[in-house]
Amino acid sequence: MFWGYVIAGYGIAAVVLGTYVVSTLRRGRTLSRQLDPEQRRFLDD
Amino acid sequence: MTTVEMPPARSVPEHTGSRLTRALGGAVLVTWTLWLLWGLVLSPADVVQHESVRLFYLHVPMAIMSSVTFSITLIGSIMVLRNGSVFWDLMAGVAAEIGVMFLGLVIATGAVWGKPTWGTYWEWDPRLTTAALMFLVYLGYLVIRRLDMDPVVRARRAAVFGIVAFINVPLTRFSVQIWNSLHQETTISLTDTQMDGAQLTSYALGMLAMATFLAWLLVHRFRVAWLEHAMDESGLEKLIRDRRAEGAANEPGGVR
Amino acid sequence: MTDDHALDLSPRTDGDAPAPTPGSRSRLTWLALGGIGLAIAFVLWQALTSATVFFYNVDEAVARQAELGDDTFRMQGTVVTEAVIAEDGSLEFEIGFDGERASIVHVGDEPSDLFEVGIAVVVQGRWEDTGSFRSEQILVKHSESYEAENQDRLTTDPSVDYDS
Repeated sequence: MFWGYVIAGYGIAAVVLGTYVVSTLRRGRTLSRQLDPEQRRFLDD
Repeated sequence: MTTVEMPPARSVPEHTGSRLTRALGGAVLVTWTLWLLWGLVLSPADVVQHESVRLFYLHVPMAIMSSVTFSITLIGSIMVLRNGSVFWDLMAGVAAEIGVMFLGLVIATGAVWGKPTWGTYWEWDPRLTTAALMFLVYLGYLVIRRLDMDPVVRARRAAVFGIVAFINVPLTRFSVQIWNSLHQETTISLTDTQMDGAQLTSYALGMLAMATFLAWLLVHRFRVAWLEHAMDESGLEKLIRDRRAEGAANEPGGVR
Repeated sequence: MTDDHALDLSPRTDGDAPAPTPGSRSRLTWLALGGIGLAIAFVLWQALTSATVFFYNVDEAVARQAELGDDTFRMQGTVVTEAVIAEDGSLEFEIGFDGERASIVHVGDEPSDLFEVGIAVVVQGRWEDTGSFRSEQILVKHSESYEAENQDRLTTDPSVDYDS
C-alpha cells in the first residue's frame, strides 16, 4: 500500500538532486576553462 | 654537467574533480546502493504506515543534513565577521544553497508522506510552518548574497543575516516539543529510539548516504564558487588594467 | 607608486563605455527579496490565524467546553469506537484522551486510509449544543514509533495504544 507516494517522493528527490549535481559539474568545467590553471583552485587537492 | 630540474608544471584539471572527490564519489556510490537496497527492497513495510514508511529514510536524513549545512553557514558567517575570510564567505553561501535545496526536498517529501498518512499534503502545523519559514529565510539569505553592492560590505551583511537566520534551526527542530503539533515527535534520539531492525538499518544507511553525498557536493560546489570568485577578481583586474592603459594613453605626452 | 596618475577611477560618462547594466539585475534582486518578505508575512499570518493555534487534547477540550463555545479548534485523541455512518452520511465515532471521551460527528472529507480504532487523530471543528463535536476535518496523527509488518514475534495488538 502507498507505493505510488514512495515513488513520487524518491522521484522528486532524484530529479532535483540530479539536476543540481549536473549543473554544478558543468559550471565547474565551463569556468575552469576560462581561467588560468593557477587561478582555478583554492587548494591543490 | 648539471641539468636544472624544472618543477613539473602544476596540472590543474579543467573541472572541479580531484582525488578527494573521486574517493568521496566512490563512497557515495557504495552508500547509496546499500541505502536504496535496504530502504526500498530489503526492509519491511510498517505496521501502520505500510510502504510510505520508506519516505522516512529519505526525508529525515535530508532534514538533518540541511541543519548541518545551515550550521556551516553559521560558522562561516561568524568567521567572516571575525576576519573577513573569503573562504568562509564562499563556504557559507555554498552550504546555504545546498541546505535550501535539501530543505525544499524535505518539505516536498514530507507533503508526499503526509497525504497517505495524515490525509493532507499541507497543514499550518508548527513543524511545517517553521520549516517553511526556514526555507524562505535562507532563500532570502541567498538573494542578499547576490545584491549588487561592494563585495566586502555585502559579505558582512550576509554574515549578519546568516547568523540571525540560524534561530530557525533550533526553532524548527524543537517545534514539535514546544507546541501541540500534528507532526510526530522525534523518533531517533540518543536515549530513546523507537524503530528497530531493518527499518533502523535503512535509516542509518540513509544518514550515511546523505552525509557522504553532502561532503562530495560541498567540495564540488565550493570549487565552483571559488572559480566564480576568481572570475570576478580577474574581471576586475582586467578592467583596472584597461583603464590604466587608457589613462596612460590619454595623458598628454603619454605613450601613443 | 609609479603610474597611479594613470588610474582614473571616476565614473565613466561616455556612451560607448562597456558599462554593465547594474540597474536591471539589481532591481530584480530587490524584487525577489520583496517577494520573499511577502511570502514570510503570509506564512506567519497563516500560522497565527489558523485553527492550529487552538489545539487541545480531549480532556482539555471537554474541561473548556463552555469557554470554547462555538469556536473552531483542533482536538486530539485516540479513536476508541468503530466509526458508524449515520443516515445523513456523517461519520460518527468517539475519541478519548486521559480518561475523557468525546463523541464526534464528522461531516467533512473521508479521513486517510490509516483511520481505525486505536489510532490517534486530530479533528478540526467545534462543540455543538448537543454536546458532541462537529468535525470538518480528520487528520490521522502518526506516532513516532515504527514497527515492521509481519514480524515473527508475539505482541499484543500494537496499534492499540490509548495513551498516545
